[in-house]
Amino acid sequence: MSFNVNFSKRNSEKFYLPGQEIKISRGMLAAKNYTTESDNVLTCRLRTKISILFFALLYCALCIRVSYVCLGQGISLDTAIADQTDVDVIRFKNPVKRADIMDRNGEIIATSLPTVNLYANTKKVRHAKDVAEKLNYIFPDISYDRFYSLLSRKGAFIYLKRNLSPAQQSQVNALGIPGLEFENCEKRIYPHKNLFSHVLGNTDVDNQGISGVEKYMNDRLTSSTKPLYLSVDLGIQNTIRDELIAGVKQFNATGAAAILMDVSNGQIVALSSVPDYDPNENIQVAERAMFNFATKGIYEAGSVFKVFNTALSLESGKVKTTDRFDTSHPVFVGRLRVTDPHGSHGSLTPEDILVESSNIGSTLEILRVGKKFQRKFLQSINMDKALSEVELPEIAKPQFLNEKRWGDVSMATISYGYGISSSPLHIITAFSSVINGGMYHQPTLLHNVKHKGHRVVSEKTSESMRTLLRAVVTRGTGRRANVDGYQVIGKTGTADKLENGRYNHSKSISTFVSAFPESNPRYALIVVMDDPKASKETFGYTTAGWNAVPITKKIITAVAPQLNIRVDFDLDKQKSIVNAAYKR
Amino acid sequence: MRNIRKTIWILGLFTFTMAIALTSSFLKNRVQVLERRLAAINANIQKDIADIHVLNAEWSHHNTPERLRKLAYEQLSLENAKPEQIINYSALQFNYEDENAAQTVTSNKKNLTTLVKAEVKKN
Repeated sequence: MSFNVNFSKRNSEKFYLPGQEIKISRGMLAAKNYTTESDNVLTCRLRTKISILFFALLYCALCIRVSYVCLGQGISLDTAIADQTDVDVIRFKNPVKRADIMDRNGEIIATSLPTVNLYANTKKVRHAKDVAEKLNYIFPDISYDRFYSLLSRKGAFIYLKRNLSPAQQSQVNALGIPGLEFENCEKRIYPHKNLFSHVLGNTDVDNQGISGVEKYMNDRLTSSTKPLYLSVDLGIQNTIRDELIAGVKQFNATGAAAILMDVSNGQIVALSSVPDYDPNENIQVAERAMFNFATKGIYEAGSVFKVFNTALSLESGKVKTTDRFDTSHPVFVGRLRVTDPHGSHGSLTPEDILVESSNIGSTLEILRVGKKFQRKFLQSINMDKALSEVELPEIAKPQFLNEKRWGDVSMATISYGYGISSSPLHIITAFSSVINGGMYHQPTLLHNVKHKGHRVVSEKTSESMRTLLRAVVTRGTGRRANVDGYQVIGKTGTADKLENGRYNHSKSISTFVSAFPESNPRYALIVVMDDPKASKETFGYTTAGWNAVPITKKIITAVAPQLNIRVDFDLDKQKSIVNAAYKR
Repeated sequence: MRNIRKTIWILGLFTFTMAIALTSSFLKNRVQVLERRLAAINANIQKDIADIHVLNAEWSHHNTPERLRKLAYEQLSLENAKPEQIINYSALQFNYEDENAAQTVTSNKKNLTTLVKAEVKKN
């Protein structure tokens, strides 16, 4: 489209707006009768009308909206707030950022309390001596000199005291000293003190986990305030720890450890290692008390390994429960002469080998099976690697011989528990797999977590093993653990302690690994005594049957009713118990 | 006539603007009150959460198994359950279950008959 533009004759007396001299031809705007002279008013009116219309529409919209919001019931403010997300409504900050830790029944075993730290901005603090004196009066545990030296430093943020109580905070506030300020923080509290020290571990001053579950699960505990549920049971843990402490005292042992495991899923119901420490106290703890023997202590377990030796022998098919082995003479394997410490036993079945804890019998069994199968089986029950799935940083890697060193002599010594060092956690997990039907489950400390297991022995072998291990308790070295009604099965083991690369025959580590009840084992328990001493009560013996076994009996007697394990008394026996109770 | 219309139009707009201003003011005031209430509620919740943490810790501290065992023994003469204390129901001497069951059935029958009779009478 083209415009016909005529330049109007310029009138020097008339004021023209810029561009007004350009006149659009009437031909183009005939209908509008448009002239530059009369355009001003028209344009202004038009613009005013448009503006009025615009504002009127705007006001109308506002009016409708305001009426709708304020006068009508179209939107309720409460509803509007309620409809928003939690983040918008809840504007407060949770004063505690680290999640609580609960036991399997929901009891708090670790929690955090909101506290404050006192710090000084020394640039603002005047009369440091006076301030130090006043602070020393409120906090007598910190000396005047310490406060004065802190206040004499130059800095805007110098910690004076961490984790003040509300009363102390109030007292410092009342001083009204400029430069003394508070920082919100939280303090980790362990209400049960020593009870879970080796399970939970501890946190540092910045509330970051430095050991135990606190360290392993640090990211989980700091990323969410939802409680973390562990598989441990407060009551059971307390009972087991009490019995261990009593046992350590009775047998004058260096230490002791115990683990109670649910054999159906590998969950750890209790884990205790004594001596232990109170994680609430910020004091220097003895190295032995900090050491978690249950998961980190590796040792040669001795005759407990005969359980695995018998299981693998039966599983191989080369040994049957009815086979007999002549143990009347020592056996020579290469240069190794294998003997039985308690003398010869004659012809023994695999059951008798376990009952008498015969080294010769175990060696004869493994000689039939061979080292290849032995090594493969021990690898299948994770005797060659650290159990990194358990939620603890304090885990040990077993000392497992490499294939070149796995000769005939090693094969023989391993069959009765020497040559491989492993932790109590390794032993109890492997033992559980042998007696639970043959499934190996990785151990865990988390509630409602079950690692996918793998089969290590057949159900038939597992059933046979339960029968054989029951005999150990009814007529073998585990007699003192026979709790009436619970059909305890188990195996003892006592091994000389290895010190500086040599066996110390005067020191031993005794172990009793057990499970109950025989018909359908639900829980497995391992009790380990570190260097128990002989006494009159033990007739001078330090073997497991005299220390670890009676402790196990006490533990099972106390915890089995708590664990709802049905007592397997026959009806007549039960009736006699009831009658006795009525007569009493 | 045109001026009157204009005046009415301007007055209307003025009134309308004033109404909006007043409403906005009312709304703002109401929001501020609610904001203050919300802040107070949030502060209280925060304090309550802190208190709950302390109370939970105290509760847990007072419920240590050792303390409960001691109290149970001292106040109620209760000790840990022993295996022989857990017996089957059938080991009890008297046939308590059958007598009770018979009584329950009889009483239920009587109650049912009474209820049915009452319903029939009503209808």
